[in-house]
Amino acid sequence: MSDPVDPRAVLAAPGSTLAAVLRAVEEVEQQPQERTVRIGISSAVTVDLLGTYLRRHGLLSGTAVQVVPGNHDDPIGDVERFLHEGVQHVVLVPFFDALLPAFEAQLPGLAPAALDALETSVRTRYRLALEAARPLPSVHLVTFHRMGSPLDAGGRDVVAAVLDRFDAALRDVAAGFPNTRLVDGADVVRTVGRDAAFDLRFWFRGKAPYTGAFLDELARRVTVAARGFGAPFRKVLALDCDGTLWGGVVGEDSVEGIALGPHDHPGNVFWQVQHEIAALRRAGVLLCLVSKNNPADVDEVLRDHPSTVLRDEDFVVKKVDWSDKPANVRALAAELGLGLDSIVFLDDSPFECEAMRQQLPVVTTVQVPARLSDYPRVVRGIGELFLAGGVTEESRDKTEQYRHRARAEELQAASVDQETYLASLQLTVQVRRDDPADAARISELSQKSNQFNLTTRRYGVSEVERLMADPEHAVYALVVGDVFGSAGLTGAVVVHRDGAAARVESFFLSCRVLGRGIETAVWPRVVADAVADRCTSLHADFRPTPKNAQVSDFWDRLGLSLAAEAADGSRSYCIAVDDFHTPTPAWIEMNCVG
Amino acid sequence: MDENALKNVMSSVLRVPAADIGPDSSMDTVTGWDSLRHLTLVLALEDEFGVQIPDEEAGSITSYPLIKLVLTELLEA
Repeated sequence: MSDPVDPRAVLAAPGSTLAAVLRAVEEVEQQPQERTVRIGISSAVTVDLLGTYLRRHGLLSGTAVQVVPGNHDDPIGDVERFLHEGVQHVVLVPFFDALLPAFEAQLPGLAPAALDALETSVRTRYRLALEAARPLPSVHLVTFHRMGSPLDAGGRDVVAAVLDRFDAALRDVAAGFPNTRLVDGADVVRTVGRDAAFDLRFWFRGKAPYTGAFLDELARRVTVAARGFGAPFRKVLALDCDGTLWGGVVGEDSVEGIALGPHDHPGNVFWQVQHEIAALRRAGVLLCLVSKNNPADVDEVLRDHPSTVLRDEDFVVKKVDWSDKPANVRALAAELGLGLDSIVFLDDSPFECEAMRQQLPVVTTVQVPARLSDYPRVVRGIGELFLAGGVTEESRDKTEQYRHRARAEELQAASVDQETYLASLQLTVQVRRDDPADAARISELSQKSNQFNLTTRRYGVSEVERLMADPEHAVYALVVGDVFGSAGLTGAVVVHRDGAAARVESFFLSCRVLGRGIETAVWPRVVADAVADRCTSLHADFRPTPKNAQVSDFWDRLGLSLAAEAADGSRSYCIAVDDFHTPTPAWIEMNCVG
Repeated sequence: MDENALKNVMSSVLRVPAADIGPDSSMDTVTGWDSLRHLTLVLALEDEFGVQIPDEEAGSITSYPLIKLVLTELLEA
């Protein structure tokens, strides 16, 4: 047969044949993966190969995907079955032309009342299906697209109008479900090309409209939107300068000599890339520089170059010196208080990229492509890594908040003693209890917080909402502010009232607010609520992970007594509520709501 | 036409060892060769051999000899 090839390379190569992909999927699935998920596919048409391609793209992000197929066009029944079969993610594929047999063809002759009834049925079915899927972490709903093209060259025929209306209905229904993400079906058709997206042979024979190319791209988008079904959140884009942000070498070509500008090649490629990177910053990505250069040269470009889009204030940390890049990336992760797995590194030098891949394999390393016209597309791919999973409002514009932190650290260096410094920050902590408006951000924070996280329980949005509504649970959100600005919702506590015992199920904080006494501020309020609920004792656990060693003695510091310790390092603590006396630090102004 | 390549594609899609594929293999004799799998098989064959199997044959090439015949015709055309 053929030469032995790395099955992962087969999965990654866009041109691999279907038979080769099938073989490679089976082969790679024999090896251990970082995680395994079950995905249910519920479709109005036959999409058998979608499962194969979800397995392919899942494996490429370290996830073994087990596919649970649904029945034909039964979204509600499918989801209910999926829940029993341990499915975590669902892909729903409605299909416009299958709403009625040959819907697009018979549509111009349909009575308005028939269309109204059909729209109502679409809304009802998908609302019930999404309602049933509420407990699941994520649902991916593929929006409607048409199969044929309009006869009218202007494109706005009756099918287009009805498609818009039904598509809006689907989007409207989905908007009520925070765990549901839309996948733009029409855009997948556009990307693949209409002729390459459909295979009419199997459409008429077996209700299978799509080609492998369409289903492959659809699976890729679902996987990206679900962050590879559990891959780490990326937060930082670490950028090289010469050959990455502009063409040429500033130290040799001078500021005037580098290639960067809106009109001429190749400067226009870098100029467009800078715009795309600036857009990522606005969406919440933290930009850093990791460049071997004279700092003055780089500063001069960012300050004086007439066409630079990115400016000094766009970067949270700048490592412009002659140290090796892996060391600098390690240092910037420490400065920001973030894990290395949250960093994407972009550089044009094969040498630097290789050094990073070898020394810091958990960093995602991307090289500027040799064919420069491909560069904007590569940067857009980087954008997908960051934006997958949806960025919530408070995640946006993190740069300002992290700069606050950096400024606060400068202030600390100048201050005489810690307490005077903390008082000068004018810290405020607002504690909000059971406010559903906080559910999405609390869920997001529970997924992202690794270091200051006592039990590392990850919550879905719907789970947080359920706990908020449950009288036996209380969910507290911590909103922290100081003289430099609001750090936003940066922590949460989940308490479960179990008879006379109040159990702390979770406590996590964003690393941005550590070291200021915030972590002890909330507890007088929690204990007061427990007393009001007639609880006599407070219980809490610590569960060790590779990342949360810094909180291993947190409950000791809070004054709780160790009750039990397991072999894996898990510890249980308790205290009688009457014995709890740890006060809110004097420098923090508390403000409780709800 | 490369019969080994054909056997390999059929083996990957139908999940049986390539050595077990031969003149007797058909939808009736190979477990797992159902109509869904058949669709994948046609797409995989087209992909592997760079041909377009016409509509009227796509549904009816349900045995090894028939597939071989149609592929040979298409490749020689």
